[in-house]
Amino acid sequence: MRRWLWLSVALALVVAYPLVLSTPFQQRLGALVLLYAIAASAWNVVGGYAGQVSVGHVVFFGCGAYAAMGAYAHFGLSPLVGIPVGIVVSVAISAVVGVPTLRLSGHYFSMATIAVAELVRLIVTNTDYLGAAVGLSGPTVPRNVFDLSFISALPYYYLFLTILAITLGITWWMVNSRMGFYLRAIRDSERAARSLGAPASRTKLYAFMLSAGLTSVAGALYAMMFGFVDPESGLGILISVKILIMAALGGAGLLFGPLVGAAILVPLEEISNNLLGGKGAGLTFVLYGAMIVLIARFQPGGILTLINRVWAKRNGRMPKTEAARGA
Amino acid sequence: MISKHFLGLLCAAAICVLPADHAFAQEKTVKVGAVFPLSGGSASAGVHAKAAIEVAMDIINNAHPEFGNFPLAKSAGFAGLGGAKVEAVFADNQGSPATGQNQTLRLITEEKVVAITGAYQSGVTLTASAIAEKYGIPFVNGESVAANLTERGFKWFFRVTPVAADFARIFFEFLADMKAAGAKTDNVAIVHDTTEYGTSVASVIASVFKERGQTIALDIAYTSNATDVQSQVLQLKEKKPDVVIMIAYTSDAILYQKTMQSLDYKPPMIIADDSGYSDPSFIKAVGKISQGAFNRSSWSVGPPGSPTALIAEMYKKKSGDDLDDTAARAMQAFFVLCEAIDRAGSTEPAKIQAALKATDLKPDQLMMGYKGVKFDEKGQNMLAAGLIIQLQDGENYVAVWPKASAGKAPVLPYKGW
Repeated sequence: MRRWLWLSVALALVVAYPLVLSTPFQQRLGALVLLYAIAASAWNVVGGYAGQVSVGHVVFFGCGAYAAMGAYAHFGLSPLVGIPVGIVVSVAISAVVGVPTLRLSGHYFSMATIAVAELVRLIVTNTDYLGAAVGLSGPTVPRNVFDLSFISALPYYYLFLTILAITLGITWWMVNSRMGFYLRAIRDSERAARSLGAPASRTKLYAFMLSAGLTSVAGALYAMMFGFVDPESGLGILISVKILIMAALGGAGLLFGPLVGAAILVPLEEISNNLLGGKGAGLTFVLYGAMIVLIARFQPGGILTLINRVWAKRNGRMPKTEAARGA
Repeated sequence: MISKHFLGLLCAAAICVLPADHAFAQEKTVKVGAVFPLSGGSASAGVHAKAAIEVAMDIINNAHPEFGNFPLAKSAGFAGLGGAKVEAVFADNQGSPATGQNQTLRLITEEKVVAITGAYQSGVTLTASAIAEKYGIPFVNGESVAANLTERGFKWFFRVTPVAADFARIFFEFLADMKAAGAKTDNVAIVHDTTEYGTSVASVIASVFKERGQTIALDIAYTSNATDVQSQVLQLKEKKPDVVIMIAYTSDAILYQKTMQSLDYKPPMIIADDSGYSDPSFIKAVGKISQGAFNRSSWSVGPPGSPTALIAEMYKKKSGDDLDDTAARAMQAFFVLCEAIDRAGSTEPAKIQAALKATDLKPDQLMMGYKGVKFDEKGQNMLAAGLIIQLQDGENYVAVWPKASAGKAPVLPYKGW
């Protein structure tokens, strides 16, 4: 029961954050953490739980972002209309891409997803309907509340928090369903899982499709907040890498791992840029990179495994999640 | 204990998020935000723009009687604000639209800047100016050329630079003059990358030429940051256009010039669209094999002792490089903004906005070769103009067209190496 107590304290802190640290920049920072936490949690479904390290998730992120901006730019609709469109397109793409690529194991799957992501970026760059290299803009001056174009970051914060809760809820449900057990079995040894009758290909594909749909929601939210998407900011491979690093550093395959990763890396990036960016020496990325190397060197399982371990030591038992992983 | 270190890092991160209080703003400084790509792919452009603005700060904040009529130079600081100094607060947009917007928000809400300038890439300027518009803070842009920036109905956005259509007209008129002088200019090829900059400029040039009855004979697109452009150069060599218009960022521009030499291809005329061909590192790397290349610019050094020559000298001392057109345009925007603040006699954004709307600068009050600065109702400078320069000796560009501002006559054909 202590676990629930701590969870509710954490939840209360998250809900109260933008009211306590209430300058516009702090609120926006909080919203960004939640946004990236959504994306990283979505990646976690296939990258963490199923162990299929996709580096092409930016395709789905971009689908959401382009759908949201396209709904406005082409049809004058609220960008919100783009969310279901983005989900449908993403799930379709993930099914088409997933069937052949998920047969590939290990690094080859990662490489195939990179290829797909770059391909999509090049196609979009040359497609006039999607704004080609110029990109698509959202509503510059909000017409009504459904344009989701706010001055304050507060509405974004609570919107993102709600979506994150839904994402984590879906993940939790999946993990504790039959599918979750299949996925973990596949991650630990696909051959063993198959020999025991787990439908490996189908399960991986479902996880990939679920992950794609959730990632596209993150992309749509991103585009609504910033009001713009172009091939670099919506489909650049670095976005995939950022999402992946957040999930991995926080703890891939753990429910709250991506959230912890985002809560550390997003502020680290923004604040180091605030303090050092204006100097013009690129120090931001030096610090950011050094931090990643440090964590990767000393805590490759992710920050959350560390916290879990400290927790377990205090309570004198193995933490549930790590025990399940056989760590 | 490793774990302790990590808890320490976590705490450090948490502390950083705590309110950073900048309430100790000195009364006598006026803070202006400057958002530029100081890291990432366009860092070179951003760092040069930063150096240019620092030179501008020196000119404004210290007495420079040698500048004559040049606005804000004579006395130290803003005369309209009792000698208050200007302080540019720089922020790195990393070339990302999202970071650009975050940093602009930070400058407005935490640094309490009274106005913003920046942000180089059109996409970043788009998102950064959107947040400034929401907060009601003037945003003066000096170097982004995408047409849509001034088509958004913004009330706080002002653009000093000429846009792609202005330059396309300059190219057309220059070629018409060259034709009158006996050069062949009927067969024009455009080589451009597939970035937002490359595609938009290429299509604007094509449509401006078409309106005037000339179709572009050959359109060659390539992917930016290319590692090999042999096939593109061979295509040119085969089709033999009279004029090649090059739209390329620095690394691609260098690669093209090297490839042309290695394939022994010399088009009769090369006209570059600024950017890569204006970069000081381009001239250092391949200037000697690009002799006779034309380029567009709004910047020319001018006769010794003139404000432009003084600025060029101060900039060279500061950054070690020659002032290029892009950095100079950013600098001009900063001067325009500061002149408006001075005239407003106030740091209130609304008064600065009103002053910007009333801006009416004459050519002798500018460092760029514009016909003046006067904004239309969309915030675009109606008097923006440019000139054609030529890399005659492979080391320095000289103004060659139009005649009124030309230092030398254009030399044809393209010499190369």
